[in-house]
Amino acid sequence: MHFIPVYLIFIPVLTALFLYVVKSRHMNWLALVAQALMTVLLVLYYRAFSGNYEDTMIVLGGWNEWIGISLVNDEISVSFMFLSVFSWWMVLIYTFEKGNTNHNFLFFLMFLQGVFLGLLQTNDLFNMFVFMELITILVTILIAFKKTGDAYRAGLFYLLISKVAMMMFLLSIILVYNSFGTINILLVRDAIAATDSLTVVRFSYALFMVAVMVKSAFVPLYAWLPRAHGVAQSGISALLSGLVVKGGLYLFIRLNQMYEFANLNYTDFFYWIGALTAVVGVMFALSQKDMKQILAYHTISQIGIVMMGLSKLHDPDMFIGGFLHIFNHALFKSLLFLGAGVIISAYRTKKVTDIRGVMRTMPFVSIFMIVGMLSITGAPFFNGFISKAIIKYGVIDSGVRYWILFIVNIGTATSFIKMSQIFFGPKTMTIRIRKPLKNLTLMSLAFACVMLGNFYIPISEGFFGFQVRTIDIGTWANFFDYFLALSIGYVFYRFVIAPDPKAVRYIREHKMTFQQANYLFVVMIIVLLTVFVWW
Amino acid sequence: MDPMLTFLVILIGMYGLSTSKNIIKSVFSVTIIESGVILLFLNLGNWRGGSIPIINGAADIIADPLPQALMITTIVIGSTVTALALMLCIKVFHHYGTVEWREILRRGEGK
Repeated sequence: MHFIPVYLIFIPVLTALFLYVVKSRHMNWLALVAQALMTVLLVLYYRAFSGNYEDTMIVLGGWNEWIGISLVNDEISVSFMFLSVFSWWMVLIYTFEKGNTNHNFLFFLMFLQGVFLGLLQTNDLFNMFVFMELITILVTILIAFKKTGDAYRAGLFYLLISKVAMMMFLLSIILVYNSFGTINILLVRDAIAATDSLTVVRFSYALFMVAVMVKSAFVPLYAWLPRAHGVAQSGISALLSGLVVKGGLYLFIRLNQMYEFANLNYTDFFYWIGALTAVVGVMFALSQKDMKQILAYHTISQIGIVMMGLSKLHDPDMFIGGFLHIFNHALFKSLLFLGAGVIISAYRTKKVTDIRGVMRTMPFVSIFMIVGMLSITGAPFFNGFISKAIIKYGVIDSGVRYWILFIVNIGTATSFIKMSQIFFGPKTMTIRIRKPLKNLTLMSLAFACVMLGNFYIPISEGFFGFQVRTIDIGTWANFFDYFLALSIGYVFYRFVIAPDPKAVRYIREHKMTFQQANYLFVVMIIVLLTVFVWW
Repeated sequence: MDPMLTFLVILIGMYGLSTSKNIIKSVFSVTIIESGVILLFLNLGNWRGGSIPIINGAADIIADPLPQALMITTIVIGSTVTALALMLCIKVFHHYGTVEWREILRRGEGK
């Protein structure tokens, strides 16, 4: 029972290796068996340790904990693990019929799962670095798997920029090791509480945060995300946008827990970074016409909203909102990407303006897509509403912060009103392929969205250990806010976005070059050092 | 070697990344940054000139073995990333006929 974390890392990795070596068309079901086994193990682990995660640390190889590799779990990591196993189930089922002879694809997919679960459980900074690097490599390969020029250049862009970010992460690990003589996160946390000289600590914090900002695509370091998530296969896009980009946010939570006693005043800074990310992401999303690009830019903006919540790590309300939004976003963004994949493969085009009449052509898919759209815009009784309302509850006293959230909501509503135009129109002739498995995944994701939207109190109390009963979410003000945002969004769409003015076209054609991205990276390092070390 | 000199190596790599217009040169710059970081860690582990970390009772000062263990892992990962990046360079060259960032990012879908 105690060693389940190790099995959870090695079962997918070994399955991946086995599938790669055997290369048999008839063995692909083994991936599903491994997935089922992992689900069972995870549930057993949850039942054994739920509510009491004091005793979960494992030090591998019999070393002492100062230098050994250790794994540790708490509510946050276990709930993230449930989310990732669920996401991989969805992607495995969605891609299953397609990848019949494609062993490499399953190899990389299963391997990525093992690595991601390792990242969630590790208690060792260097191990964290290794897992992040492995995720970078595997994700690059999965992006490039489409074998088009677009996919290759997006993969290259992502690979190089992440590698530089991870080098900053490594530099920071060096500083931590040199100051405290250990890289065990819990021990470093205690050592930081005991130390007096905080300059090196602050220096390392700034470099860690630069790496986190690149990996989770905050403005201005977001340039890789729309390229990468927009060109990959739909199943992979769903996985990357829904889950893997949350690896960066997970690092943010873990590292801020580590620096808890360093007296760093980061709340306002990251709140405004999150607000900037949300606004810029939504602005770019409004200008796009490519369906997957719209969804990719919305990932940036939703991460901004998550960040606005997570920035108050020690204020329970805001943190719960941000944390729940990670889960909600994973569910509805996977749903939207997978649904978009089905629509795109039927219509053979990605242009929102060219696709019409989905409602009559594919009624089931449209219903699930509408559930996803209602969730992302924050409609009452869907999951996006809950987390946005909790974040809103945290900032209700300060005017400007509240209005930024409202503006982002208007932008999201406008953008999805634009996208919902695909449903209207007459029935069109498309290539009819029966896809029961794809509909099954869409249905389970839509079901999860609705469940989390209505039964959030028992789920978040039993599962994450949060008390959300005290926060009044279903107020008339919140309902009114949503419908106000929707109506302003419709007017905005009708008179500003739909005529496609010059400014919108200009934003659409703006693409950041690699040099600019790196230049901004250097600028961001300087900004963070200024904020956290010299200020 | 002064550990501070390795920061210079890292800065050279940063400069290369923000200015070079060629993909191959960008890959070189990333490798240079990585070398700087690795040199820094090895230096901090052994800047007093200790002997190899194999305890046989002879040496007074021995180097810290942990940085060396960590850095060999980093070198392995770094070589993997470089190999993958160069492979992608070849693929990009096949699709676009050039390895200039500006040309590649400006164009739409490749051949």
